[in-house]
Amino acid sequence: MDIKPSSIFMPSEDVVARVIEDELIIVPLVAGIGDSNDELYTMNETGKAIWLRLDGKKTLSDIAVELSHEFNADIDMIEHDVLGLMEELTSRKIVVGQE
Amino acid sequence: MSLSASKYVYTKLDLHTIPGLTFAGVMESVLKKNIPFRFTAPGISMTPFIRDGDVITIEPVAIPLRRGDVVAFVNPFSEKLTVHRIINISQAGYLIKGDNISDSDGRVPFSSIIGRVACVEHCGQKVWLGIGFERIIIAWLSQHGLLPILMRRIWPLIKPLLGKWF
Repeated sequence: MDIKPSSIFMPSEDVVARVIEDELIIVPLVAGIGDSNDELYTMNETGKAIWLRLDGKKTLSDIAVELSHEFNADIDMIEHDVLGLMEELTSRKIVVGQE
Repeated sequence: MSLSASKYVYTKLDLHTIPGLTFAGVMESVLKKNIPFRFTAPGISMTPFIRDGDVITIEPVAIPLRRGDVVAFVNPFSEKLTVHRIINISQAGYLIKGDNISDSDGRVPFSSIIGRVACVEHCGQKVWLGIGFERIIIAWLSQHGLLPILMRRIWPLIKPLLGKWF
């Protein structure tokens, strides 16, 4: 899938994610089992802020605009981060795109 | 706070750095979706049924827990994630204890139970956990402090008979 600012993503049904004590933890489900021996992931503040906005409705561009307002940061830089993260998460099947 | 241009926003988590309560929270999140959770168990408190480094699969508690079941719970006193056996059930909660230790964990309320152990693997092979009918005998022996002694004396004799299970 070509990842563009107009793309829309949401968390895959094959992961369970939860914020615990301010830390986002993602558990990929392998063969229907949450297997911590396989891979658990966390994200830094940037990744968490992006992840929490992946609702299957907002475009990546919308998310970048929101974050640039919230954190008073350069929108181009944020959009670059958002697209980069989506590429990484898509390749690991952690998120799915909405066509 | 401001966002940085950090590229590496997504990193693999080192399990050894996760506090017990956080790990319990992760497990609870998975089980709440009616999905089993698998992890490597540290410690010897459930030896010989669960040995250090064995892989445990925890399932959601779908039916009432029974005496002798092995459960994952957050110990309300120590606040540690623990996997031990129910040795007695009363209105006050579950009396839970490790098979290989002398002191119980005390009465644990149902709300502290995260899930039930469904299976244990040692070096990739499923092992006998003692959660069939024999769980009642194991729980009774454990409650009366006889299990560790019995296991130390009898285990070397019965282990060869169990063959592939251990």
